[in-house]
Amino acid sequence: MTRARMRKLESVGALALCSLAAFAGLFWLVFILGDVLVHGIKALHLHLFFKDPVPPGMQGGGLRNAFVGQLLITFAATIIGVPMGILGGTFLAEYARGKWMARIISVLSDIMVSVPSIVIGTFIYALMVRPFGHFNGWAGAVALAIIMVPVVVRTTESMLTLVPWTLREAAFALGAPYYKVITQVVYRGAAAGILTGVLLSIARVAGETAPLLFTSFNNNFFSTDMNGPIASLTVTIFQYAMGPYEDWHRQAWAASFIIALFILVITIIGRTIVKMRYDKG
Amino acid sequence: MIEQLRVKFARRGQAFGLAPSFILPLKGKILKRALQMGIGPKKNTADILFYGLTALASFTVLMIILGVFFVLLKESALSIREFGVIRFISSTDWNPVTESFGAATNLFGTAVTTLLAMVMAIPVALGIAIFITEVAPSSLKGPVGAAIELLAAIPSIIYGMWGLFTLAPIMAEYIEPALQSTLGRVPLLGILFHGTPMGIDILTASVVLSIMIIPFTASISRDAFNLTPSVVKESAYALGATRWEVVKNVVVPYSKIGIFGGAVLSLGRALGETMAVAFVLGNNHQITSSLFDAAATITVTLANEFTEADTNLYLSSLFYLALLLFVLSFLTLAVAKFFMLRTERRHSR
Repeated sequence: MTRARMRKLESVGALALCSLAAFAGLFWLVFILGDVLVHGIKALHLHLFFKDPVPPGMQGGGLRNAFVGQLLITFAATIIGVPMGILGGTFLAEYARGKWMARIISVLSDIMVSVPSIVIGTFIYALMVRPFGHFNGWAGAVALAIIMVPVVVRTTESMLTLVPWTLREAAFALGAPYYKVITQVVYRGAAAGILTGVLLSIARVAGETAPLLFTSFNNNFFSTDMNGPIASLTVTIFQYAMGPYEDWHRQAWAASFIIALFILVITIIGRTIVKMRYDKG
Repeated sequence: MIEQLRVKFARRGQAFGLAPSFILPLKGKILKRALQMGIGPKKNTADILFYGLTALASFTVLMIILGVFFVLLKESALSIREFGVIRFISSTDWNPVTESFGAATNLFGTAVTTLLAMVMAIPVALGIAIFITEVAPSSLKGPVGAAIELLAAIPSIIYGMWGLFTLAPIMAEYIEPALQSTLGRVPLLGILFHGTPMGIDILTASVVLSIMIIPFTASISRDAFNLTPSVVKESAYALGATRWEVVKNVVVPYSKIGIFGGAVLSLGRALGETMAVAFVLGNNHQITSSLFDAAATITVTLANEFTEADTNLYLSSLFYLALLLFVLSFLTLAVAKFFMLRTERRHSR
């Protein structure tokens, strides 16, 4: 009897510890997000979006340059990275399905997803910054695109494999060549999944800082010239948070709040799409 | 049927300038190949074009990985020639003025912060995974799982900001003095906790890092736990096992390869984490016994010094560091992937 009770006690105790761990995880989430929310909303001001930075140490000013720069870089990265990722994933799931080459590339993409982003930054520095002699926005965009590609490749591949093979056979039977089957039948069947992959990859790169540090660098002035150094929110946050001025810290919090909000909203939209599309049955 | 195909194949051969007499006798394997290539979906120029385009796109992944390796190797050649491999890894020098560079302090910082973070993160992550799969009522499973995954979506720069402005003062004010007055008094352990607690140190960096890697480990462990067939669990329950005994003796042993893969994956992630650590580690090149001292990891050194490197040897040494980091994390991630593929294969059988 006592032995049984001991075992029961042990079970309850251990599982209580596990629940505690889960609440510790939730605690950090609430703590971090709450902190960003409180500091961020306090610092939020319309000037943030419509004014450029003032000289260091002076009050006021905003981060218009960084918002525009961030949008430009992320947009360019998406234009480069997403088509490449979707096409690459298509090859793995369709033409090379089941071949050893496809397996290797698929595994390598999985590894690429986790390769340190700062290493990508140094790689692009050597390729696109040093030869030109100056930092430039395109280098930042390419660095982010390189981070996006494996994410999109893997999600596209797994979403296309979910489309039933019989659907393709039906299209073949109508005499359609393979590329038409892919673009008009398979892509349509997997559109929601691919879109989710794209959204998640944008969320992933929108918060990246390390690869931008030595590619697009930073710019205290408003600029839309992708051939020169260009400001981004994340690098500005790094610079401002490490800086000595109270006003800088305030703006860094506000910028963090905007970025966190953007990323969380995109992530949640992506997850909802998957849930609605694939959890039905 | 076969005869028709043979004729068809011969016609195709003719189109390429081959005589029918050369094609017709070919049988077996080659004919099968021809079947695969000729029959099935119709091929036309657009199709070949699309095939080429997709193939090219997927090979860029391969090219990027090779490209990163060889470009970094080429850029660090100067430093490799100057310092060699063993000397670079073992030297604690990092002096831009005398141009003497070694990776030991950076490797030390990376290893210590990563290990500490793993020690703090893995038990919590396993606890979360067990909670989600075995303890939580099904109405809680989804929300808790989603919340943990949101934790993974927060960008690292926000962890860094939070670490610098919120966690570091708390560490310096309360937690580190408390550690010092308790564990710091224990004879041998005390050496880990000497010095003035400033908050910008190895311990704070490890805490931030551990919060960052908890979600990865937790979600992979959860997936691994979910692979345990319920028949096996039910048999254990039928024998009178308590819930914890089922977890400890059935679920965990069943999924240990998957858990191990998840742990190694988060190790790989932690090795390369930059911004979360850059804010709170202090970038001080030293090997120290105290967790309350500033240090430098490979990533922090790169983030802080890359744009300031004014000589070729300095820059080349930084590229060398990046190369080391790339190789280290690539190998770690490959090991993780290997273990995760093994679990997958076992369960798809």
